Amino acid sequence: MMDEIQYFYEKLKKEGVIFSFSGPVSQSLLEGIGATLRQKMSLEETSTGVIQKVFSIFVELMQNVINYSAERGSAGAEEPDLSFGVLIIGRRGDHFYIQCGNYITDSQKGPLREQLTRLQSMDKDELKKYYKEQRRKEAAEGSKGAGLGFIEMARRATYPIEFDILQNGNGKDFFVVNILI
Amino acid sequence: MEAFVREKSKSTPWIKLDPGENHLEIRGESYPENSANFYAPMMEWLENYLENLSDESVRVDIELIYFNSSSSKVFMNFFDMLEDCAGKGVDVVVNWFYHPDNDTALECGEEFQEDMEKVTFNLVQTDGG
Repeated sequence: MMDEIQYFYEKLKKEGVIFSFSGPVSQSLLEGIGATLRQKMSLEETSTGVIQKVFSIFVELMQNVINYSAERGSAGAEEPDLSFGVLIIGRRGDHFYIQCGNYITDSQKGPLREQLTRLQSMDKDELKKYYKEQRRKEAAEGSKGAGLGFIEMARRATYPIEFDILQNGNGKDFFVVNILI
Repeated sequence: MEAFVREKSKSTPWIKLDPGENHLEIRGESYPENSANFYAPMMEWLENYLENLSDESVRVDIELIYFNSSSSKVFMNFFDMLEDCAGKGVDVVVNWFYHPDNDTALECGEEFQEDMEKVTFNLVQTDGG
C-alpha cells in the first residue's frame, strides 16, 4: 500500500494532472482549491481568459457534486449533508481538462442524458440563446441551483462536453464528464 | 431607510446599497453555495427601496470578476427590477466595470445590456494594471 502512493503520484504527474480530489466536497473546500488552482495557473502564465474559463467550469462542477451527488452522508442534524465525488484537473498539450464524476439516482439519469446530448449539438450562438432562455425560466422543482450549470460550462469549454453514465455492479449509475478548455 | 452593507468573502462580493446617495455598489466575486439564499435579503431590501423612488436618479456600479451560473440568475432578476423602476420614470444608470483581460466579464455585461431598454447600461473598462 505504501509504495503505491508514489506510483499513483507519479502516474498522475505523467498525465499532466494538476489537481485530483476524491471524497466529500464542500463549499469551503471548493474555495480553497479554487484559489490554489488560480495561483498555480497564473504562475504558469496562463492567460486571464483561460484561467477564468477553467475556474468557472471547476466551480460549476464542484457545486453540481455538492448539490446533486447521490452519494451523501449526514454529518449531524445541524450540519449540511456531505456530498461525495471525484474531480481531476490537468493539462494536455495546449489544453486544460477537467473530469468529474459522482453517483446519480435513477431519476437524474434521463434528464442529464437528454440535456447534455442536446448541448453537444449546439454551437456557441445557440448556447447563448438557450442560456438566456433558461435563465428566464423558473427553477425546476427540487433544483438547488438555477439549472444553468451545464450550459455555462458548454459555453466556456473549447469542445463539446463529453459525458458517460456508467453502470457498475452495485446497480448504481456513475456519471462522468470530461471538459476540454 | 438604512444602507444595506455586506463585507466581501471569498465567494461573495462587497455590497453597499446606499439609499441616501441613491448609489448601489457590488464589487468582487460571486459563487456562494446557494445564491438565491445569499441574495434574498439584498433583493428584499432592493424591492422596498425601488418601490419608494419617484423622480430621483439612481447610480449602480457593478464590478464582478467572476460569478457562477446561479448568481447570474439573481443578477438578471436584479436588473429586471431596475428596468421596471426605470419604466416608472426613475433615471437609472448602471456602470458595468470589467478588466480588459476579462473577456467573460465583458460578455456577461453585454448580455445583461441587451435586455435593458429603459436603464442606461454602460460597459466601462477598468485600468489594465
